[in-house]
Amino acid sequence: MSVGQVRMRVPEKAKAGEVVTVRVLVTHPMQTMQYRDGKPVERNYVYINRVEATYNGKKVFEAETTQSVSENPLFVFPVKVDAPGIVQITFHDTEGKTFSGQAEIKF
Amino acid sequence: MDSRPEAFGTARRHALRHLAALAAVAGATSLALPAAAQQAGMPQPDEKVEDTLKRLFGGRPMQPGGDRLKLEAPMIAENGAVVPIRIESDLPMTADNYVRNVYIIADKNRRPLNAKFTLTPDAGRASIATNVRLASTSDLRVVAETSTGALYEVKREVKVTVGGCGG
Repeated sequence: MSVGQVRMRVPEKAKAGEVVTVRVLVTHPMQTMQYRDGKPVERNYVYINRVEATYNGKKVFEAETTQSVSENPLFVFPVKVDAPGIVQITFHDTEGKTFSGQAEIKF
Repeated sequence: MDSRPEAFGTARRHALRHLAALAAVAGATSLALPAAAQQAGMPQPDEKVEDTLKRLFGGRPMQPGGDRLKLEAPMIAENGAVVPIRIESDLPMTADNYVRNVYIIADKNRRPLNAKFTLTPDAGRASIATNVRLASTSDLRVVAETSTGALYEVKREVKVTVGGCGG
């Protein structure tokens, strides 16, 4: 699996006004710093530090993450749907790369 | 020098070699520091959990989560690198009173703030799940901040068999 691959899962069908659960998995090493005797010996700063999700352009979910989030992070968040549309998610990492994915919610 | 026993000389050489190695390591560390500081996306410096709470909430009173905010986490996490947690809440999500921020704080991690989630009323319900890393057995706190400024806290101890933050 390559870094930055985004996989999303949404319910197949939704009803107006329903709160649906969106599951997102992104492939990313989320490197940690290595310590020996309390001192950092290896400084790895490549990790996802910002996540944004929108539904039909409206912001629904945002996260500021640190190295304390696991490798290949999983995020599960709710979206209230009033109309069919597209959930768009964007990940930003500390190297300035962005990864995005989208999923369609049908009625 | 020549009159000294051979064993003494060897010991001295070894000692000198060790000293030289130590000096090299110390030099490398002090050189690495400024370079690291220039990199983008630097993590927060190490801090104690009390300082994190003070920085984020400034000593505002917190209400116990009770039935309104729940944290599901394993009692024993065999692998600290992947600890699945789930936050469920039935706090209102209306336009004028909603859960704005959810903080995940692990007391004994070097940087206790694991993640901060921001929601909007369009989320409909404040329930989030993710995987976090835990360095060692400690309390895991979840703090929900509503748009009116109220804070709800829920705390659970998670036992960690193998720490997940490296070295």
